[in-house]
Amino acid sequence: MSSNRNLKQEINEKLMDETLRGSLNRFAEAYPIARAKAYENVDDIDSLRNSVRDMKIATVENLEKIADQFEEQVTKRGGKVFRAKDGDALKEYLFNLCKEKGVKRIAKSKSMATEEIHLNHFLEEKGLHVKETDLGEWIISIAGHKPSHMVMPAIHLDRNQVAKYFSQELNKDIEPDIAYMVQEARIALRDEFLQADMGITGANFGIAENGATGLVTNEGNARLVATLPPIQVVIIGYEKLIPTIKDAVPILRTLPRNATGQLMTSYMSMISGAAPALVKKDGQWVEQEKELHVILFDNGRLKAAKDDKLKQIYQCVRCASCLNVCPVYTLVGGHVYGHIYAGGIGAILTALLNSMDDFKQINEMCIGCRRCTEICPGKIDIPGLIEYLRAKSVEQDGLPFGVKAVFENVLANRKVFHNLLRLASIGQKPFTTGRVIRHLPLFFAGLAADRSLPAVADKPFRDRVKKVTKKIDKPVKRVAFFSGCNIDFIFPETGESVYKVLQDLNMEVVFPEDQSCCGKPVLGMGDHETARKIAKQNIIAFEEAKADYIMFACPTCAETWHLTYVELFKDDPEWSKRVEKLVHNVREFTSFVAGEYDKIGRLNKTTGGQKVTYHDSCHMKRGLNVHTEPRQLLESAPGYDFVEMKDCDKCCGMAGAFGVKYTELSMPILKKKIDNIKDSGAEVIAVACPACMMQIQGGLDKQAPNVKIKHVAEIIAEQIKD
Amino acid sequence: MKKVSNNWKQAFPPESVGTEFFEEFAMRAQNVAAKVFRVKTAAEAQSVIVEIIKSCDAKKVVATPEVVSPLELPTILKSMNLNLYTEQSDIRTHADTSDVGIACVEFGIAETGSVCEDSLAIEQRLITTLPPISIVVMNSANVVPTIAAAFETISKVFDHGYISFITGPSRTSDIERVLTIGVHGPSQLVIIAIDEEIREV
Repeated sequence: MSSNRNLKQEINEKLMDETLRGSLNRFAEAYPIARAKAYENVDDIDSLRNSVRDMKIATVENLEKIADQFEEQVTKRGGKVFRAKDGDALKEYLFNLCKEKGVKRIAKSKSMATEEIHLNHFLEEKGLHVKETDLGEWIISIAGHKPSHMVMPAIHLDRNQVAKYFSQELNKDIEPDIAYMVQEARIALRDEFLQADMGITGANFGIAENGATGLVTNEGNARLVATLPPIQVVIIGYEKLIPTIKDAVPILRTLPRNATGQLMTSYMSMISGAAPALVKKDGQWVEQEKELHVILFDNGRLKAAKDDKLKQIYQCVRCASCLNVCPVYTLVGGHVYGHIYAGGIGAILTALLNSMDDFKQINEMCIGCRRCTEICPGKIDIPGLIEYLRAKSVEQDGLPFGVKAVFENVLANRKVFHNLLRLASIGQKPFTTGRVIRHLPLFFAGLAADRSLPAVADKPFRDRVKKVTKKIDKPVKRVAFFSGCNIDFIFPETGESVYKVLQDLNMEVVFPEDQSCCGKPVLGMGDHETARKIAKQNIIAFEEAKADYIMFACPTCAETWHLTYVELFKDDPEWSKRVEKLVHNVREFTSFVAGEYDKIGRLNKTTGGQKVTYHDSCHMKRGLNVHTEPRQLLESAPGYDFVEMKDCDKCCGMAGAFGVKYTELSMPILKKKIDNIKDSGAEVIAVACPACMMQIQGGLDKQAPNVKIKHVAEIIAEQIKD
Repeated sequence: MKKVSNNWKQAFPPESVGTEFFEEFAMRAQNVAAKVFRVKTAAEAQSVIVEIIKSCDAKKVVATPEVVSPLELPTILKSMNLNLYTEQSDIRTHADTSDVGIACVEFGIAETGSVCEDSLAIEQRLITTLPPISIVVMNSANVVPTIAAAFETISKVFDHGYISFITGPSRTSDIERVLTIGVHGPSQLVIIAIDEEIREV
């Protein structure tokens, strides 16, 4: 893949592709329902996922031993094992084998590992006849496309387009009737199986105990490829190895359910050793043992196994469910991811198995919403690994000069940063209406087409603190408030509400003046060095505050403090100790207040009033695991009637800088959110995250101006008399 | 005929096998478009087979030796105007153009509606993959409740060879995600479960 791709243009082309958009939209709607139904007869999905994860972790810990055992067991049963360190080694081995055995025709069933190295292309250049036999793979091979999904490679094409490719390939008019086309494919490909000299399959798992490889398929082509030709080649990545026969159970209980919403695929085959085949000798069919070659494929996998974080890719069962729930994948499909692996897991695999350059171009398309982590059978922290790889690449190559300069000179210097924000509040005046900027001049206009941008407040929260601070006699607790940039400079009213609620609970609230940005924007870009500088300023400021709790009304800041600060200083004993001491006191506002209200009997359900619905921020729900508490607060707020909306926990499309840098992707995601809010009939949309508030407020202003947005803190503060 | 095991029965977990799991197995197999017949005797199974062959007007049938003799297929199909192939090389020559394939499978799995096939013999695989109608015969008491119980069983017998789960007919959703039955494998899967034991152990 060239390093000078115009990713923006590629994205725009995909967004304009009506066929693709329609298909992905329907799929995104249907998938979660199908998956849920497939799990109906699984008692405890979470413990099933744990068993996939634990089994795979145990395997990667002993990978060399397990690979040795696998090789030994295959060899013992008459197979040959070749360990290919990369694509070139694999191709050389395979081509030599073809030459030696006089192979002319090859039938293939699906193998992503062979796509990874463009094997078909290589073999065809060498003059061999190679046919993909999986319907979807065959379609894209005759279309000359790359797969756009790991399980459904031709999801980007509709029946008319497929009929066109079929007509070209088969030299006759093919009607765009799906059942008819499938029959035509059956007829056209049947001879490929029967005449092939060699069959190449991938593998869904490889069992060290008896050297068996497992194939999970629906069409039956893999069974034919593994049965008819006298020479069988299995290409299997190291990550597919499992220790024992029984270890296939958690894979087989999750893979079909997650991949296609099936309890089991039509065929699951396990082949151990050289199985019998029939070859024609002197006009007679004679039974003989197959020639079996198992190629264990490295191509970056073994290096990943040695990295403490990246070894998580061994937990992947290639179900592709992470794509199916990804807000970005379901908008643009797989081709924009550049190499052959799409979506979040695709970005990671591309980095490890292909090139860091390709990864760098596409990694920002992960918006960190973590929906994938909720359903991944192996519980891989996909967004976390993407951030990790991003940080690694920044460590190696640095940030672009301009960005680094801004981070070091502006974000790491609180006074400069805050002065700039104050200046912005004056500079934006000509464009501001109320809390939002509705229009921007010239080329910025695209940013504000379907979404108004937030205006920087006239007076930041830090300048309002004095006015809202009450003297509390005999306070029950001392609370230090970390506002974060959004509350400080965009939504200072939210900060005022936080103060009001906590003071009403007889708590003393203080605002450490030297607090700055939590560092998330810098961390998101992979710049850990600047992030450490910023974190230290905050740590010092809050140590001095000597408070019982550090309070957050922004889940992103809370999570950054709670998890990332610990991570940032793990190799620095002094600062590590200082962080540890503070993070115990980190509290998220809604969950904290719900707990306090419960203690004093204020958490009773009320009915009637304005309809209010709630949007789960990604960081709040999947980062902090807070989702019931804000709802309890809304349900108990007099004057409000709580209703749920569809996809309440789906990302609003803000995701830090993503929402600005990739406006074209952010807007369709936001539009879905706004539509769901409207459909719920709510008059008020409550959020507990100021970043979501910024994004949704901007969308409402343009698309549903009658709906009001409020932070949960504001709604509960309304109930308190001054 | 080659087999991974000649005595699968002794490998079933004693607590987790039996006709009590049959109903769920049949329901789930039907959910994925398999046809399920449960019969008491070999004679009843024979009439089901005859009916299927009549209704599809089959001209060519391939069957494994394992199923041919206990169900006396040559006798019951004799009066019908068709060719029955049961020898290995005939199966290889004719399976691709046959209308119906008949073979035994070892057990059913209630959790998924799958049948487990001992696929080591080449004739077994040719018969259950190539013809458009696949009839598989099993004992109705050989049903395990879960995939875990299936692997309890498999791990006892699977040293080397070839073992498959078959779950409904061959299918694809590769064009517009529209479910379409019968791509490379059979478009019909018929499961005949017999209460009496027809195979010698």
